[in-house]
Amino acid sequence: MTAATARQLHDGCAAITESAIAAGCRFFAGYPISPFTGLLENMSRRLPEAGGHCLNAESEIEAVNMALGASAAGARAATGSCGQGLALMQEAIAELALNELPLVIFNMARNQQDYFQATRGGGWGDYRTLTLAPKDVPEAVEHTQLLFHLADRYRAPVMLYGDPLIAQTHVSVDVAARDFGPLPAKDWALDGSSGGTGHSRQIWTWAMGKATEPGPGPDGHWRAVAAKFDEIAGTEARSETYRADDAETLVVAFGSAALFVEHVVDELRADGHRVGLFRPVTLWPFPGDDLAAATRNASRVLVFELNAGQMLDDVRQFTHDRGAVRFIGGVSIHASGLSFGPLLDVGPIRERILEAAA
Amino acid sequence: MRDEVIITGIGGQGIQLMAKTLALAATRGGLQAMLTSDVGGEMRGGPSQASVVVDDEGLRALPILPSTKSVVVMHHKHSAFALGRLVPGGLALVNSSVADPAAIRDAEVIAVPALEIARAADAPNAAGFVMLGAYATLRLIVDVAALGEAMRELVPPYRAQHVAANLRALEAGAGTVLAA
Repeated sequence: MTAATARQLHDGCAAITESAIAAGCRFFAGYPISPFTGLLENMSRRLPEAGGHCLNAESEIEAVNMALGASAAGARAATGSCGQGLALMQEAIAELALNELPLVIFNMARNQQDYFQATRGGGWGDYRTLTLAPKDVPEAVEHTQLLFHLADRYRAPVMLYGDPLIAQTHVSVDVAARDFGPLPAKDWALDGSSGGTGHSRQIWTWAMGKATEPGPGPDGHWRAVAAKFDEIAGTEARSETYRADDAETLVVAFGSAALFVEHVVDELRADGHRVGLFRPVTLWPFPGDDLAAATRNASRVLVFELNAGQMLDDVRQFTHDRGAVRFIGGVSIHASGLSFGPLLDVGPIRERILEAAA
Repeated sequence: MRDEVIITGIGGQGIQLMAKTLALAATRGGLQAMLTSDVGGEMRGGPSQASVVVDDEGLRALPILPSTKSVVVMHHKHSAFALGRLVPGGLALVNSSVADPAAIRDAEVIAVPALEIARAADAPNAAGFVMLGAYATLRLIVDVAALGEAMRELVPPYRAQHVAANLRALEAGAGTVLAA
């Protein structure tokens, strides 16, 4: 651990920027889109001061491929957008996964409608995207540093699933560099040596290798990549429960929505209701074993998410008794289209839980 | 120690700067603060609202407050959300130069003719800081000097000519409450 910096008032985008720099991020590329723009603005101001580079690309496709290049050269690199821009980046994300290149991707999402995009992905091949969903700004700061570590450890693209509240809420935070332990040397990174020098390296999705040094080829390589994602699924799932031990009604929620549910759980407990919260901290790998254990004694499992029912699929897959699962979330969008609508509020969440638990 | 306030008004009244000044002053004073903003797309006249929660260590708060101990009403337009969240008997500090204090029920209503006070202090653009000075003096979370320092830090260099007037407005707002 290094010494803590002085406490600052930062919005989420500024706090994430400071955390990324503390983690050693030195390359960022992005294309403005609300509410991601704040992150790009902060990176463009702070990265050069930290000896890094930030590029305002001409499109999301260009941004992610610039970041891919920086990563291939061994830099700690990142990009981001909201779900709309990440849709354009899917091909490059698949290439990163199959090339085994680390990258941190910040989805400063407009809502929770990108769950499938984050956890299933839209690229080709057998890969998944390790995704952390912080519930507030302090956790986003922590997750940012963890993600840079996990990306390097597994040589894979990883994602932070943020939202407008996390992007724009100001909080008093200390950002200090955290040490997650040693990482293997990046002996795979390209160093600029070209063909014919005897020192050139190859990063290629198909892993055919060079004429003089044949690689494993697509069959061997893609099996190995798939096995790596199996390993991640078995080791990196994270979850949190809140007042869940004796809960008859367990609410499952992620990100900012879970913060609101936590508050409602306190209110309902004060009124004598046995309600608790289960929060997947990683959306992929989904903490299925933890959910199965947490739902063993629950009569009702209520899924609250701000979309038409996406995490619902995962909850149904892992809940102890699938018949106990009810969906109490829904699509709720701010009039601007850029943020959450009125469903993300204590009153409506409380009503929906009480109605489902009646 | 915990304090909560929703500041509500329209674009152009300095709502966001007021909230940020309060949150930064609290942070600089060793407290924890959380500030959430909600603004319309318009440069002038659209909804502008901000909530600030201040606490000692371990601040826990929602970015959309389910309830608040106090509201500062700079303009009545768009104020329904903030007033609807005010706890019964909570503090409603009302800019009576614009909004009607009599329209607010079930609250400890304090009317501050902020525009007139700001003009008298030769700070006609700083009615928001009059309200902030009054608010801080009523709530005692941060003092006016700390607000002044935070404001000085937040005002960009090309607006530095307004710092002195803003300081006068903060002092005048505090003075109004102390005199009452």
